Amino acid sequence: MKSDNFIERSIVGMLTFLKDGIISEECALRKGFLQSLDPRVKIISFLLFILQVLMTGNIQSLAVLYAFSLFLAVVSRIKLGLFLRRTWIFIPLFSLFIALPAIFGPGEALLAWNIFGIKLVITRQGLDTAVIFIMRVITCVSFVVLLNLTTKHFELLKVLRIFRIPQIFITILGMCYRYIYLFIGIIQNKYLAIKSRIGSGVKYQQGQEMVAWNIVSLWERSTNLTEEVYKAMLSRGYQGESVAWNDFKIRIRDYLWLLAVVIIIWTI
Amino acid sequence: MVTSGSDNYMDNIIFELDKVYFSYLGKFPALCGVNIKINQGQKISIIGANGSGKSTFLQMLDGLIFADQGRVSFCGQQLNEKKFDDLKFSQEFRRKVGFIFQNSDVQLFCPTVKDDIVFGPLQLGVAKGQIQKRLEKLCAALKIEELLDRPAHQLSIGEKRKIAIVSTLIIDPQVLILDEPTAGLDPLTTRSIVDLLIEENNSGKTIITATHDLHIVEEVSDIVYVFGQHKSIVKSGLAVDILNDLVLLEENNLVHIHSHRHKDKVHIHPHLHSEHHADEHS
Repeated sequence: MKSDNFIERSIVGMLTFLKDGIISEECALRKGFLQSLDPRVKIISFLLFILQVLMTGNIQSLAVLYAFSLFLAVVSRIKLGLFLRRTWIFIPLFSLFIALPAIFGPGEALLAWNIFGIKLVITRQGLDTAVIFIMRVITCVSFVVLLNLTTKHFELLKVLRIFRIPQIFITILGMCYRYIYLFIGIIQNKYLAIKSRIGSGVKYQQGQEMVAWNIVSLWERSTNLTEEVYKAMLSRGYQGESVAWNDFKIRIRDYLWLLAVVIIIWTI
Repeated sequence: MVTSGSDNYMDNIIFELDKVYFSYLGKFPALCGVNIKINQGQKISIIGANGSGKSTFLQMLDGLIFADQGRVSFCGQQLNEKKFDDLKFSQEFRRKVGFIFQNSDVQLFCPTVKDDIVFGPLQLGVAKGQIQKRLEKLCAALKIEELLDRPAHQLSIGEKRKIAIVSTLIIDPQVLILDEPTAGLDPLTTRSIVDLLIEENNSGKTIITATHDLHIVEEVSDIVYVFGQHKSIVKSGLAVDILNDLVLLEENNLVHIHSHRHKDKVHIHPHLHSEHHADEHS
């Protein structure tokens, strides 16, 4: 749905955010291969893959790793269409534009032509550099998206503990994740209320004023909410140092996966 | 340690408020001269219109805000900010008193339902094995197993309220304070929450409920306190006496006159759905 109206666009934008969040959670709840692994092991193994992608300069190795990421998506019950859409849109396309000038770099000429007297030469070395760059980006993005789609968001937050990130930061991140949905609901309802009263004929300046007042009102709400949430935390015994529940378990399957990852990286 | 602090302290009085005043920002009065004594194991209801000071009163009982004037004591010990700086007292108090907020979104601040439920006992140093046992027991009793891994924003209002109650019950407090526990809920969920409160009271817990849902008052209270527009208690008494005092309820915006039709007959009467016109409704 496309619209020139700022209210419509805001509502559509918020719905898309909610929909993306729900799809990610649904994928993470499926009974696939990656979903069955311990999140800590999964993150470590994916970090190893990403390091390998960054260190290798071989197109074949990159192609194998990219193909492996697609294989992992399939065995984790993620639809390839959704996976490719999420991985190819934006970042790799931008990297394509960045890499484009590299194909005209110095080296053995593959193709040459003249445009208005300017000689353009695509070189083998230039093309290799551009392809390696794009392959690196798409493979890295694929592993990150795969991790995001197969791991529940709260598990990702909890895993941050293994990188020695203080619990207070993880608690705050968790609250941000929790309350962003609440505020999106509030904003959505506000815009629907505006739409129900004034329809879609909002002038630009009037629209700006409405958005400004909404930001102020949301700020006020969030300040009140902070106070209330703090009281709710105090009421249940919070003393300034949050203690978290950790029920992760590493099983034989996780050790085998880690061994397989090391072998794959070693072989490539 | 929360223990008897004075010689003349009566064993069964759990909360005592003596001429308590409180105002927000020093200029918006919220409680004006509140006197109350709550005994252990009692069911108490606080009823009153919006803005009569019910929520402020409950937050004061839970040691979240403190009186400007007057004295609030719990088991004979005065509650003030200094007292809560003592970690031992604070933890002991939080173990004994549980508070369920009116807005469940405030109380469910963790990424998942399970994290929210175990938050309290974890902070209070309850052993993980013990927490797991309590969690399993509550899950089985309230049939919430399938909600545990879900984020709170995906729950319905009724589910959120239930989880908020469970997140307090898992601490196993002696006193349960509830702010509008049934507001905005469907009849079935309301019923299940009322049943739960009665059950908890039967097991010895003190239940303090603020509500203006008069349907539930009789079941969840031995004594009812009516808060008026002057932010103080205007009357207290047995639930049945208070609910039958229509003048008092009308004066305090707790009932309204309306008319409706039953079969071929139009009635005009106060809107109070407890035992009214039982014969004509049948």
